[in-house]
Amino acid sequence: MEKVIGLITCNYSAKSPSALVESRPVASMPFLGRYRLVDFPLSNMVNAGLRTVGMVMPYNYRSIIDHVGSGKDWNLDRKNGGLFVLPGSAFGTSRTGARFLLRDLVHNKVFFTRSKSDYVIFSTANFVYNMDLNDLYNAHVASGADVTVLTKQASGNDADVTGFEMDGSRVTGVKHGVSFGDTAFLDCFVISRQLLLDMFDWYAATDYLDLFEAMGNDYGRVNVQAYNFDGYAAAVFNKKSYYRSNMDALDPRINAELFPEGRFIKTKAHDTSPAKFEVGSHVTNSLVSAGCRIFGNVGDSVLGRNVIVESGATIRGSVVMQDCVIKSGARVENAIVDRNNVVPAGTELRGTPEDVLIKEKGRE
Amino acid sequence: MSKKECIAMLLAGGQGSRLGALTSNVAKPAVSFGGKFRIIDFALSNCANSGVSTVGVLTQYRPYLLHSYIGTGEAWNLDERDGGVSILPPYATQTGGAWYEGTADAVTQNLGYIDQNDPEYVLILSGDQLYRMDYGKMLENHKRHNADLTIAVMPVPWEEASRFGIITQDEDERILKFTEKPKKPDSNLASMGIYIFNADLLESSLKEDAIDQTSEHDFGKNIIPKLLADGKRLYTYEFNGFWRDVGTISSYHETSMDLLGPNPAFDLYSEDFPIMSNASTRPPAFVGRDGDVDDCLVANGVQVYGKAKHSILSVDAYVGEHATVVDSVLLPGAVVKNGAHVVRAILGENSVVEENVNLGSVDSTKDTAVIGNDVVVGKGE
Repeated sequence: MEKVIGLITCNYSAKSPSALVESRPVASMPFLGRYRLVDFPLSNMVNAGLRTVGMVMPYNYRSIIDHVGSGKDWNLDRKNGGLFVLPGSAFGTSRTGARFLLRDLVHNKVFFTRSKSDYVIFSTANFVYNMDLNDLYNAHVASGADVTVLTKQASGNDADVTGFEMDGSRVTGVKHGVSFGDTAFLDCFVISRQLLLDMFDWYAATDYLDLFEAMGNDYGRVNVQAYNFDGYAAAVFNKKSYYRSNMDALDPRINAELFPEGRFIKTKAHDTSPAKFEVGSHVTNSLVSAGCRIFGNVGDSVLGRNVIVESGATIRGSVVMQDCVIKSGARVENAIVDRNNVVPAGTELRGTPEDVLIKEKGRE
Repeated sequence: MSKKECIAMLLAGGQGSRLGALTSNVAKPAVSFGGKFRIIDFALSNCANSGVSTVGVLTQYRPYLLHSYIGTGEAWNLDERDGGVSILPPYATQTGGAWYEGTADAVTQNLGYIDQNDPEYVLILSGDQLYRMDYGKMLENHKRHNADLTIAVMPVPWEEASRFGIITQDEDERILKFTEKPKKPDSNLASMGIYIFNADLLESSLKEDAIDQTSEHDFGKNIIPKLLADGKRLYTYEFNGFWRDVGTISSYHETSMDLLGPNPAFDLYSEDFPIMSNASTRPPAFVGRDGDVDDCLVANGVQVYGKAKHSILSVDAYVGEHATVVDSVLLPGAVVKNGAHVVRAILGENSVVEENVNLGSVDSTKDTAVIGNDVVVGKGE
């Protein structure tokens, strides 16, 4: 897709922040052991053939840059095109929940004007799915729509997901939050580059709005079509959906949808040796990243890189991020343990499946 | 080490014919090892960790996988503008081309590469050995002795000494005698095939050797004995860590098993001296509800729904429901389907053991079972 460039907005700020995103942007949230959330949109774009991708950064961008670097792990370290790190506005989206803040796009107008591409695919880093974005692009070109948004029928209520009001496949309005059966926005859309530049002029006075809010009165004249994605997709806006989407991946069918043969999710490469399941360890229904050393018991859990589970320690129904040590006899249940934590011998971290306990980042 | 003080010539053209099916379609340095590595990772990582940033990799046998795996050398931080990794296969000149005949000849044919880099010292390495070594320390040793050639050596059990090039040295570590595979060894110090030469001496002795019709153009058989006879200053550098040349199926299997257990002979988890690799990014390993993994090395992309014990499960290996894998090595992408039983076996890359097949034997007097890359083992085979 030489005619298409990508843009990922990474400065979403959660309306209801939790300890997990106090220390990092959503885009660099560790996910499924070895990944970060931004790996999904980045890989989807690159796997579809895009070779020019901009990333709008939040103010606390250190962990994102640390992760994506020059973009080489996504084949984006290129002589022409490649990865463009773009500044976001100073106070980000300041808990407004905006995804495609107009100001962030307008401030980086040069990224769009210098390009010779016909189209731009936009995405946030809040959704987890693996999709061939050529399907979205082809649908867009075939329908002749002005904008084509990627959507999915909501399978439950989620106050953080954007919903669309629909007339057939045409979008007539936008709203905050979705209920069961609504058309939920997967925060991904394709638009012609020229129309985007026109919109910068149309909506210059309301650049503090999200692009889709700014279009509020124009759904009659701008033809916004929905393209339904019928694969697995998870929204990650809060600790509950973060936990649930990690647990989802323990279902082999969902895992296979997220990591299909030939369309890998790319991530930063590490020189981590394989995990070692020691004599007497007991692991069931779990994802275990490289570098883990397991002597104890692990069930229904996701372990990040280099987690050490000492003998007699137990992890159940939990997400344990990289470089944690669960000491002998300790028990971790229904918890999200952020990186660099040591759970002392004989102690417990225990939440419930409905109200998961969060242990914030430990000291490095 | 300063940038072009020392460059490495890494010999990676060997077939490793005694590894049988494992090297039927890849060169020995490209054989997978330890779950996520390939054998050449060890030498390349040693170079990177020692500050040797210019490395010529001499390839010949079945080079495709090796070439694509090494790529730009980026995975070992060896993608440098003035140096880095260069792949050096045999090439043609006005007078025709020739295959590499022997270790010394391979380097002779690439003296132009050495000239182009103009180093003071040249490190000669083999791409098919497993060990961790700081070549910087070896170079310091070389300079301290004001040596012409330094050979890395290690003590080996006396009963195995006749398999190696054996060195007798004086108390100052100067080499008195070098015998290739002696019948009656008078020392148990074995050459590891790792040499540091003064570049000028390397060039002159290789040129001399090249016109010698009787020479086999081999470092151990020809070059070193000649230098010793000429009274050059040859010294040893003693190494005492883990070092293996996995020449045979049984030593490959044994060395793999050495990575398991509570106190493995080789520490894969050293942070100071990491073994780097160009592994593809695959999801974390998944163990199913009825999966049972005990005493195993488990790489990314692995899925286990059955039982695996005392084994190495490399990237993307798969163990189906009610299948068992014991004392075995599953190379990347190897599949053991439901109900199959695999004991004391090495399964090649992307090989498949079909449902309910029994492979291998617990009887340790029998040979380790080996399935070649991409081979499918069905019932009755």
